[in-house]
Amino acid sequence: MTSIGTGYDLANSIFSPDGRNFQVEYAVKAVENGGTSIGIRCKDGVVLAVEKVVASKLLKQGANKRIATVDRHLGVVYSGMVPDGRHFVDRSRDEARAWRDTFKTPIPTADLASRMGGYMQAYTLYQSVRPFGITAIVGGFDSELELPVDGEVGSGPAVGAGGKTAGKKHGGPFLYMIEPSGLYWGYYGAAAGKGRQVAKAELEKLDLGGSGELSLEQAVKEAARIIYLSHDDVKDKKFELEMSWISGADGPTKGKHQEVPKALREEAEKEAERLAKKAVEGDDDDDDDDDEDDDKKDGDKMEE
Amino acid sequence: MFRNNYDNDSVTFSPQGRIFQVEYAAEAVKQGSVVVGITSKKHVVLVALKRNAEELSSYQKKIFAIDEHAGIAIAGLTSDARVLSNFMKQQCLGHRLTYGRDLPVRMLVDMIGAKAQQNTQQYGKRPYGVGLLIAGVDEQGPHLFEFQPSGMTEEMVAFAIGARSQMARTYLEKNLELFADCSREELIAHGLKALKESLVQDRELTIENTSVGVTGFSKADDGSTKVEQFKVFDGQEVNAWIEGVADDKEAPAAEGESMEVDG
Amino acid sequence: MDHRPQAWGRPRDDIYGAYDGSYLQTSGPKQSTQAPVVTGTSVVALKFKDGVVIAADNLASYGSLARFTNVKRLRVFLDSSVVGFGGDVSDMQYLDRHLNELAIDESYETTPSADHPSPGGTLNAANLHKYLQKLMYKRRNDFDPLWNQILVAGLDSGSKPFLASVDLRGTAFSSPSLASGFGAALAQPIMRKYAATEEDAARLSRDEAVQVVKECMKVLYYRDARSMDKYSIAVVTKDGVELKEDEQLEKQSWAFAERIRGYGTQTV
Repeated sequence: MTSIGTGYDLANSIFSPDGRNFQVEYAVKAVENGGTSIGIRCKDGVVLAVEKVVASKLLKQGANKRIATVDRHLGVVYSGMVPDGRHFVDRSRDEARAWRDTFKTPIPTADLASRMGGYMQAYTLYQSVRPFGITAIVGGFDSELELPVDGEVGSGPAVGAGGKTAGKKHGGPFLYMIEPSGLYWGYYGAAAGKGRQVAKAELEKLDLGGSGELSLEQAVKEAARIIYLSHDDVKDKKFELEMSWISGADGPTKGKHQEVPKALREEAEKEAERLAKKAVEGDDDDDDDDDEDDDKKDGDKMEE
Repeated sequence: MFRNNYDNDSVTFSPQGRIFQVEYAAEAVKQGSVVVGITSKKHVVLVALKRNAEELSSYQKKIFAIDEHAGIAIAGLTSDARVLSNFMKQQCLGHRLTYGRDLPVRMLVDMIGAKAQQNTQQYGKRPYGVGLLIAGVDEQGPHLFEFQPSGMTEEMVAFAIGARSQMARTYLEKNLELFADCSREELIAHGLKALKESLVQDRELTIENTSVGVTGFSKADDGSTKVEQFKVFDGQEVNAWIEGVADDKEAPAAEGESMEVDG
Repeated sequence: MDHRPQAWGRPRDDIYGAYDGSYLQTSGPKQSTQAPVVTGTSVVALKFKDGVVIAADNLASYGSLARFTNVKRLRVFLDSSVVGFGGDVSDMQYLDRHLNELAIDESYETTPSADHPSPGGTLNAANLHKYLQKLMYKRRNDFDPLWNQILVAGLDSGSKPFLASVDLRGTAFSSPSLASGFGAALAQPIMRKYAATEEDAARLSRDEAVQVVKECMKVLYYRDARSMDKYSIAVVTKDGVELKEDEQLEKQSWAFAERIRGYGTQTV
């Protein structure tokens, strides 16, 4: 970074002469230090996964969840500063609730991503705040069925809730990734945090996209494999894998965002561990991502 | 005056993506005297070393009851801890009033986590200069959480924060497997032993400088389990426990049967 | 012709008389709901050995008009409690949405999954009733009451059967059997014959309790002109909630009606 020390990076919302907001770029650095998180959107659902580096033996196993439910059909995972992620989740839940209050229907994934993108962007506009030190991955399954309006207690109007075009496919799985700048795109495979380079390379090899054939259950296994593969054994020893999934109404989670069942997760992890080991033995010079080496002091472990 | 340009406030990232003000606040936790917390399947205990400003002054309290089912131990700025503790007390009472139940411990902890995070993202605020161990029970069982000035909160099996707490943590890591099945008394003994590891040379645990907090489940007369109200023990109340872990004593509570098996 | 926007779309004053806008007045005290509009009638519930039975018919009346005949007035909360609503249906719908949000809130802490099929949350019927009581009491103090009487059926923190009521004033109480609306007069005496005390209720079997409640629904249909013979019935136990929303009253006998005297145009 050439412009460090010129003063344009000392406050948020300040443009440098070449049009950059350094504080946002520095926030991205905080994300790059965080544990890898990924999202996969396949034909019949979405999988979210995160690598939780176990910083201390004294942590209670499996107790500290990093994937959050925002509404029944929506999940969020993030890399970077965990307290900022909690803030993001709290706000997402408020948005989802406000949407329900207004429209009497669950918030579509795209609208949540839009609102949260706007929220993160607002934190790049003022000197009185700092940008979020996270990149968030939002996964959801918008119901493909005719949903009852919230509060509907009878059979309701015979024509349904409206707003749908006959013969057109509605709803489906969606995945978005929102960066500290507030920028967001829809993805088939998204990755953030330490191991994103490796993860992205692996995601690109999957059969996703338009007519992608990868099934939800396969996606769970791929997600586990990718997290194991992107994990850096040298820098962080132990880690926990946390995974959640969302299927349609006819799938295993019945349209809800849920933790991946233990049996399936363990099966996926076993295979993932085997493959990761094989990959390490196979070629040794493939694991270089662009982390700057700034080992944090053990003082405050905001990222993990 | 400052170590660098990026540590003036909590709304400025350093080029590495760090927020120095938050890291400095974490240093304040290390200035406080050590506190230890441990959970078993049925209980959670907090143990603390109290300090006095001078020979003739009283000792600063370290463990506080929050509600019937929860309490905290603090390390760092006591006045910041009081703000958080008052807030937690209010939340617990409010929840009890509207729902008629104990506020689940994780909800309580998330609330102060969110509150502390705000202080790290807005100009004109400063992070809390205190770390907490939160002990409580709810329908899921006993819980122990660590809270940091950054707003980070994590559930632990056992933990220690404050000055020289690394030694206590080492003790806890070494004995980690034993805790789950410990009785109430054994758990307190482990807490005191961990605390002793962190003492400076020639200092001893005394009834003046030692504080213990306990909550958990106990068997009621009709066989049902009931919550043992969080209580802080000081002075003479901790005497037997301290003697139980005295150096010259062959630690009886370490392994095997304890002197008092509950429930 | 009056071309002011206020007069757009209004019948002509010279023919129909001036519009009475007095109810739109902006001065004077603020008025909220003064009466329910579309209403549901009784809800009846009875405790038994391992749980609670609760029932309500599927009718929503507009005054004396049977306006909606497919309205579900029993609502499951977190797969572990049932809330039964009498009174205003739009307020019931508001509460339904509110409880939906409460359930979503509760699931944040304990995300339900295949491993924990149990309710996504630990808020039991007793907690829920306490919450609704505070809510209803607040609304009455705001002079904007939710015009309902609500029965909450489920289990308490000790996994014992729980049944309690709260009304539009925030008045709350509990009893081994409860009935709202007309049922308070007609169904309660029947249920008390079988379960006058908690001890009696604790001896009732599930089948007995269901039978008693069905009997009550029938008596209510005979006597309550705002009721209907299609109803919903739910049984709450440790194992969850069994809700049937399309039940039909069986073995009706209107022979007794012949003997009723003293109403309408009858003189003898």
